[in-house]
Amino acid sequence: MNDHLSKQFDLELENIRTRILQMGGLVERQVLAAVDAFSTGNLEEMQQVIDNDREVDAHEVGIDEDCTLLIARRQPTARDLRLVMAISRIVTDLERIGDKASKIARMSKKLHQAGGQRIPRLSDVHHCGRLANDMLQGSLDSLARMDVDAARQVIGADKAIDAAFNAILRQLITYMMEDPRTISEALDIIWIAKAIERVGDHATNIAENVIYVVGGVDIRHSAPAASKADGA
Amino acid sequence: MRLVLTNVLPIAGLGLLTTLLHDSAWGWATTTLGLLLVVIVQTRSLASFAAWIDDPQRSDAPDHAGEWGEIYLKLSRRLRVEARARDEIEARLRSFTDAMDAVPDGLVIVDGNHQVQWANRAAGDHLGIRVPRDGGAIIEQLVRTPGFAEYLGKPGEPSPFIVQSPAARARTYALRIVPLGQRNTLLVSLDVTDARRVETMRSTFVANVSHELRTPLTVVSGFLEHFADEGSMSAEQRQQFAHLMSEQTRRMLSLVDDLLTLSRLEAEDAPASEEEVDMDELLAQLLAEGQSLSEGRHRIQASCKGPALRGNRKELHSAFGNLVSNAIRYTPPGGEIRIKWKLRGELGVFSVRDSGVGIAAEHLPRLTERFYRVDRGRSRDTGGTGLGLAIVKHILLRHQANLAIDSRVGEGSTFRAEFPDWRLRPDDPPSDDPQTSG
Repeated sequence: MNDHLSKQFDLELENIRTRILQMGGLVERQVLAAVDAFSTGNLEEMQQVIDNDREVDAHEVGIDEDCTLLIARRQPTARDLRLVMAISRIVTDLERIGDKASKIARMSKKLHQAGGQRIPRLSDVHHCGRLANDMLQGSLDSLARMDVDAARQVIGADKAIDAAFNAILRQLITYMMEDPRTISEALDIIWIAKAIERVGDHATNIAENVIYVVGGVDIRHSAPAASKADGA
Repeated sequence: MRLVLTNVLPIAGLGLLTTLLHDSAWGWATTTLGLLLVVIVQTRSLASFAAWIDDPQRSDAPDHAGEWGEIYLKLSRRLRVEARARDEIEARLRSFTDAMDAVPDGLVIVDGNHQVQWANRAAGDHLGIRVPRDGGAIIEQLVRTPGFAEYLGKPGEPSPFIVQSPAARARTYALRIVPLGQRNTLLVSLDVTDARRVETMRSTFVANVSHELRTPLTVVSGFLEHFADEGSMSAEQRQQFAHLMSEQTRRMLSLVDDLLTLSRLEAEDAPASEEEVDMDELLAQLLAEGQSLSEGRHRIQASCKGPALRGNRKELHSAFGNLVSNAIRYTPPGGEIRIKWKLRGELGVFSVRDSGVGIAAEHLPRLTERFYRVDRGRSRDTGGTGLGLAIVKHILLRHQANLAIDSRVGEGSTFRAEFPDWRLRPDDPPSDDPQTSG
């Protein structure tokens, strides 16, 4: 491959990476806006999140096409191939996160329109959402910098979200036991909390893909060395 | 040239001499040997020169006579001059970098491919971009706020681009791009968090004032329409409407009065004049006013066990009066209100305790904000303007006093104004004031 061609190839690869990170930025904002709208009850913001989900989907289709074209035309090898493969997987994760964000917004809207707040808007949910968003941001940063250490940190942070989710669950169960009229509201909040918890899981997937690109090691479904030491 | 004079000529002479004494073969041999020696000596010098030039800093120039010595001397002198110049430039560059790092605005230079070339320290705090870690990274991959890539593509855009900091989301930054040279772009980020907060506060304030003025006006204009219809209204009804209208206008008046008081308090840093305020007399006045406001529905007590207080009587009266009227308005009939002035340690404490509805803990920090209402419906019914505690806070600030609030929902509240000790000692004012004995 001559120099000019390889330069062109690098450019295309960088473009795909820029595109997916831009999509990531959009998804980041979606998650944050959805979680904020849940706490503040801002209906306009919820609708905005729901509408923007179409934009996220459009990004997914475009990036997938770019990846396919790049593989067909350039036949990348080694690390470049790993990057393209990882990107096409990360796109799916990001799209799912986008779905979760719009799900949070839809649920919040439903809750809000049903009226009658028997359960206060738990600040734990907001906190949990912030944690998930930090993870997402960390995973995208690690993708931008190809930073394995940052990616490992993201994977480690997933535990905090799981713990926060369990705390919310316990709290809601208390509400439901005290007053059965809160059950339907509590169930909706559980769906929202679960969606946030899934955002954290998808962020973990993204971080695992970054590690795969850099090191060529697939660490999915295997406990990383760090968490093994904790006895997990 | 000197080499020829000092080395080659004597050898040639020696060779000629040998030719004359013996024969030409001996002469050639001597000359060849001599020249060979010269070549060997020069080659060795050359080799040691090459070794020295590789790392001239480490060792001094070897001692050499003749032209080698001269070469060493000249070269080492030139190297010294260059090293000094380089040190100077490096020091200047360092101080320049330090200066750039001290700039509070974030600065990032990106090239034509949007790759980060250089960034100062503030850019790390604002945008999370740190060199050398992020050197060469494409900026859109790091600053992913939707819309930023488009903004970067349009240089000439006059308005800044607003981002929430990726590092700490609580802050807001305004980004501007400035073309730099032929292909590079300078990205400037400015912390606008405080400016935006002030902006929001201002617009909420205006919205609140308009809302508060609008409500009574709507009532008044509604009644006025009724009056215009005339005819159908009985004299009794008319009187009742007039009464309600005058009540609403009174409310507007008191709101405007409070606004004027607040703006006056904000305009000046300190009270116009200070005097010794007789607290016995002030508390008696507050008690009388409180009783007339309560109309016998509450038990009100006042006790004065402290010295005179140094301050502006009119302002203190307004602040304390606000606290007392708040207590009366938020205490159901039959409740108890205690007004106290006493010494607690070094501090002079004025307190108003009521057995009223109380305030939930989450409202306490925001209570002195303008138009902040714990319960939107109720406070307007009781005739508050929403500015009372803001005025109290301002007046107390001007008297270096502190406002403390203790409250429990359903049990009542205690508002305490704590004055510093020097305001209690008539003999020892902090600054000479001609109006000491007012």
